[in-house]
Amino acid sequence: MFLKKSIIALTGLFLCLFLIVHLSANCILLLPETIARDLYNSYSTTLRESTIIKVIAYVLYLSIILHVFYALLITLKNRKAKPQKYVINKSNENSSWTSQNMGLIGVIILLFIIVHLANFWARIKLGIGEEVGLDAMGNKDVYEVTHTLFQNIYFVIFYTLISIPLALHLHHGLKSAFKTLGFYHKKGLTILAKIALFYAIVMGFGFGIIPFIVYFK
Amino acid sequence: MKVTFKIWRQEGPKDKGEIKTYEVDGLTEDMSFLEALDHLNELLVLKNENVIAFEYDCREGICGQCGVFINGRAHGPHDNITTCQLHMRSFNDGDTIVVEPWLAASFPVIKDLIVDRSAFDRIIEQGAFISAKTGTAAEANAILIGREVADKAMDVAACIGCGACVATCKNASASLFTAAKINHLNSLPQGKPEASKRVLEMTKQMELEGFGSCTFTGACEVECPEGISIINIAEMNARRSKAKWLS
Ligand code: FES
Repeated sequence: MFLKKSIIALTGLFLCLFLIVHLSANCILLLPETIARDLYNSYSTTLRESTIIKVIAYVLYLSIILHVFYALLITLKNRKAKPQKYVINKSNENSSWTSQNMGLIGVIILLFIIVHLANFWARIKLGIGEEVGLDAMGNKDVYEVTHTLFQNIYFVIFYTLISIPLALHLHHGLKSAFKTLGFYHKKGLTILAKIALFYAIVMGFGFGIIPFIVYFK
Repeated sequence: MKVTFKIWRQEGPKDKGEIKTYEVDGLTEDMSFLEALDHLNELLVLKNENVIAFEYDCREGICGQCGVFINGRAHGPHDNITTCQLHMRSFNDGDTIVVEPWLAASFPVIKDLIVDRSAFDRIIEQGAFISAKTGTAAEANAILIGREVADKAMDVAACIGCGACVATCKNASASLFTAAKINHLNSLPQGKPEASKRVLEMTKQMELEGFGSCTFTGACEVECPEGISIINIAEMNARRSKAKWLS
């Protein structure tokens, strides 16, 4: 149980780092179209061709899988430890809703990841579905894929709404991961709680607003 | 003062339990919650009915026997108290009060509101002690302990093993209890010789007993009558990793 929890924490922290890079790259979409298209496409081509990024990509896939897999195992075990529910339980008076529902929030995010991967990763990397065109420089036109997707208001709303559970999950996850890994410095944890809140807000807001901006661009 | 009690009744460990309703009159605001249950039991005796089984000993917040789940909270509506420290003035005339036993697979119900918490004892047996020759009491100043360390050890030594942490945890995790017992002894010089063994064996027993794992909801530290901080669980995790990988 300790090892499983540590794996969830470590993979979670790695995914947190990944999101920072991901969001930074998304910010390119905010630039004027002429610059954004070239920059975004050459950036993603560079990523696809770099060996080091390829390795990191595998670590990333593995992290997602392990994070989900062990979370599932732990959840099942925890359910077994508490098979019966109270007739009345006012858990909102002693803990946050998020902390009580990390599993549910996680499932929502997982569903999103699947849709998200189908939208981008499957098309660009695996070549499944509609073929991705090339831009003037001969790079795969990932910008176009993004741009077209976010012309669809339903996807925009979906992506924006999902940033809420994402932010909640990140907030509780980041705070708890360090404790799971044994960080128990009292002042440090107070600072960490603030960083986690800040991080979650930036991530939630960032990922949530960009699709909208692209839509209205 | 008149209230409606809805109380979990269960004949024995194997029987199916259910909530039963009791209208109780003649209570006063300065009765303790346990006295209100006593009062109800007296009425039941007069009616020749089975009394409600509930546990207590000290009735002053030091033994940890009296834990029950009241209106959706461990030990009732207030933070950081035991059930025996709860008074009827915390409720209003006409209130409905739902009383349930601690719920956890590792705390099977014995009867009504009484659960078997011997899983805690078995965790204790794995190392919440120091092996030392007894005899005449040693000179108190023979081992000097800094104030900060002594205070910290005292904060966790305050754990009365009531089980509220397990009861309130959605995972029925015994982490706060186990962490308190480990950190208490492992932070003191007397506990050092067996520190690694203690943390490894006690956490192992905690798992064997079928308690869930800690996901840091923080509910336990709110319901703990001694206000033991959840940071202790992080400290236990650190001590455990150290014992496991570095020694
Ligand atoms: S009866 Fe001893 S703590 Fe409540």
